[in-house]
Amino acid sequence: MIASYVFYLFEAVAAISAISLIFIRNVFYGALLLIICLLALAGIFVLAFAEFIAVTQILVYAGGILVVILFGIMLTTKISGKPLVVEHNNKFSATLTGVTFFALLIYALSKESFINTPSVASQENFNNLQLIGIGLMSDFVLPFEIAGVLLLIALVGASVVASSVKSKNT
Amino acid sequence: MEDIQSYEATYFTTCLVAAVALPLISFFLSFAISEKYSWIVSFSAPFLLLLSTVAAGFVFYAVWNHEPVNIQWHWFTCAGYTFTAGVLLNNIAALMLLLVTFISFIVHSYSTAYMAGDPDFRQYFAMLGFFTFSMLGIVVVDNLLLIFIFWELVGFSSYMLIGHWREKPEAAEAAKRAFLINRAGDIGFLIGLMILWANTGSFNLTDIDSLSGYSSWMTAASLCVFCGVMGKSAQFPLFSWLPDAMEGPTPVSALIHAATMVAAGIFLLARVYSLFTPPALDVVIIIGTLTALAGALSALVQFDLKKILAYSTISQLGLMVVAIGAGAPQAAMLHLFTHAFFKACLFLGAGSVIHSLHQAQHQSNTALDVQDIRNLGGLQKKLPFTFIIFLLSGAALAGVPLFTGFLSKDAILNSLMAWKGSDLSWRWLIFASAFLVSFITVLYTFRLIWSVFKGEEKVTASLSIEEPPVAMRVPMAILAATSCWLFVSWNPFDFSGWIYNGLTSVKHFHFTFIALVSAAWIVVALIVAYRIRERSFKSAVLLNGFYLDRVYRWLIESPAFQLALFTNKVDKKWIDGVLHTSAYLQLIAAHVTGWFDRVLVDGAVDGAAGLTKGIGSFARSFQSGKIQLYIFWAVFTIIIFIIWTLL
Amino acid sequence: MFPTEHFLYLGALLFSSGLIVVIVKKNMIMVLLGIELMLNASNLNLVAFNQLHPGSVAGQMFALFVIIVAVCEAAVGLAIIIQVYRYYQTSVPDEVSELNG
Repeated sequence: MIASYVFYLFEAVAAISAISLIFIRNVFYGALLLIICLLALAGIFVLAFAEFIAVTQILVYAGGILVVILFGIMLTTKISGKPLVVEHNNKFSATLTGVTFFALLIYALSKESFINTPSVASQENFNNLQLIGIGLMSDFVLPFEIAGVLLLIALVGASVVASSVKSKNT
Repeated sequence: MEDIQSYEATYFTTCLVAAVALPLISFFLSFAISEKYSWIVSFSAPFLLLLSTVAAGFVFYAVWNHEPVNIQWHWFTCAGYTFTAGVLLNNIAALMLLLVTFISFIVHSYSTAYMAGDPDFRQYFAMLGFFTFSMLGIVVVDNLLLIFIFWELVGFSSYMLIGHWREKPEAAEAAKRAFLINRAGDIGFLIGLMILWANTGSFNLTDIDSLSGYSSWMTAASLCVFCGVMGKSAQFPLFSWLPDAMEGPTPVSALIHAATMVAAGIFLLARVYSLFTPPALDVVIIIGTLTALAGALSALVQFDLKKILAYSTISQLGLMVVAIGAGAPQAAMLHLFTHAFFKACLFLGAGSVIHSLHQAQHQSNTALDVQDIRNLGGLQKKLPFTFIIFLLSGAALAGVPLFTGFLSKDAILNSLMAWKGSDLSWRWLIFASAFLVSFITVLYTFRLIWSVFKGEEKVTASLSIEEPPVAMRVPMAILAATSCWLFVSWNPFDFSGWIYNGLTSVKHFHFTFIALVSAAWIVVALIVAYRIRERSFKSAVLLNGFYLDRVYRWLIESPAFQLALFTNKVDKKWIDGVLHTSAYLQLIAAHVTGWFDRVLVDGAVDGAAGLTKGIGSFARSFQSGKIQLYIFWAVFTIIIFIIWTLL
Repeated sequence: MFPTEHFLYLGALLFSSGLIVVIVKKNMIMVLLGIELMLNASNLNLVAFNQLHPGSVAGQMFALFVIIVAVCEAAVGLAIIIQVYRYYQTSVPDEVSELNG
């Protein structure tokens, strides 16, 4: 009972923050709103028996990416003391597209019916984390390794791209 | 040609060719000789004409009272019709040949003295030669087409000769008028030729002679040909050119307007006499009578010496036409023959009077009109030779017995007597008017001679007048000698001498009492003339030639002028207007096409290019470089795809 | 335990919002935020469907890898944005349109 209220609360927070992200003009506030949305999403993940993903989300997404984005915001503004306020463009076409897309998705989803079986994770002895750990090293070891390489490449690449050292050619 | 053997044939042909061609050679020679040697012309021209006369004499001797000579050559073919050219020499033609060449020779000799000192001496003799040639052409040829050609040539040479002193405006005007009135008559002549051709298909005189019967086309054709005769022989109403033609030199008047050209009409009538039907002959005789009366009455009131003679010629020509109309062409030809001689003599005499007075004027530097008989008088003492000449030829003109004129007029009166019939009709009127004309002839001839030679000298008393030179006196003497009755027949009261009997006789009649009656009539007329010798007649109408010139001007010249003005206006306003309008229309059409080309055609091309550009720009606008728009269009396409698959 | 449709509807909403944010905003960082929102919406979908398969962790694995890839992409993207900002002195995407036609 309480769980459903909590669930609806997290859902509302996520939805409201996502929608208000559309109308926010201040970039900084936008990033903060996104953090809120991500945290709410993490709560929803927990209620969906995906604790590992929820924690990963908080650690990586909200704590890592958004912080880096905040740094990016600070680096890409002129130091003037005024908050960074942006305009909107393509309002009509964006609204049209977004609303139409949302309507289409709702319509498609309404046509389907999903059988809701009681999840095995609601049992007492269910250890989700162990399954994920074993899976990472056995079934999904290849994507795991590749993901590691990808992270390395991204790290190096980002450093190179963002460097301000002028090369001899330019 | 059967009677003449080959040697004689060649001799005959040579004489014929010489007679006709020598005047033409004189024409060319007179033009070819340069100014320095112009004295040669006064010998060459009369000499050539003398040779021509001799040749004509031989031809006359060969043809007179023998078979007529008819030679034809092929001339040209046109549209299937063959035209021949040839000569027809019968008695009439031979007589005329001799007459024309002889009188032309006389006039040539006379002119050497009369025209001496004239600046256009050579041209004068050239045109005299050309005129003689043309006249001989009319006389010898055998078809009407050639006669028409030579007819026109005669008209042209008379134009050149009348207008010889072309600096005088009256002379130029008179020459022009003579030519135009001749041409007006020739329209009728041409129509007559056309009618003749349409009905018989031939112009030959021999074919016309063989015509018989009486049809309406013959009446029409003959009357139309008579129109030409009216113009050439100065019949009513086309006679006003003849008094005006006196502007030319007097020898020209002697040759052309007394003896030959005006006689060409009468000659033509005699040649084509077979064409005339009785109704046509009635018209002819009426016109002839009118002419004779008009001429005689006008001659009575004139003051100019030469104009009296001109009107007298008109009157005598009228008498000749009357004779033709009465059915006696041989009487007309006889009168033509005698009239040629005595009228030419009269003109030459008038010329000698004028010449002598001009010479006297130059020496004493007085100015008077020598041709006005009111200024003359009593010249018998100073010009006795000329007086005798005038007396002899004037007697012939008046028809005094023992002279040729009496015999030829007698012939005419006889023919009228036979023609009028025994019943009283309008024909008796014609007969009576012929007598009246001969009466008036006596009157004006007497008046002429009396006022010039008799009486007291008026203005000319102070002038020293001498007789003309020998070169002028000898020709006059020769012509005066021909006025004697012996020239025509042995019997002074019988006109049927060698000429009359030699000409073609259609009818033969002889009323002896007519001769006696006319002789008595002439004596009565002489007495009356002597009684009224001091009286003068005045009549404005007669003096001005019945005002025919004014009638012509009113009838023809003014309408023609109006027509010319009207057509000029039409041309300027309408035809030029049409041209201008069409030019403007073309200009407008050009502008329209230009607009069309510019706006529509170029517009279409530009439009096509613009359309392509627009489409290109529109397509290009999708590639704006804006990332968010790219994302938008991608999502848009995905939505459409989803809708399409979902629904 | 919770009806799956809730998760899915929320995911649809988040995705549409992210789409709108990407198209509408005039700042490259905001565009990046929108992209992150869309990725999170897909993560939510994956987790929701994982609920339907008891005993399988494939959905969660997939979501994990999505997060990793999102990290890489955000890092490189930010580097690019910073470099673009250094060159063009602007962070408005419309002004960086030299590759136009």
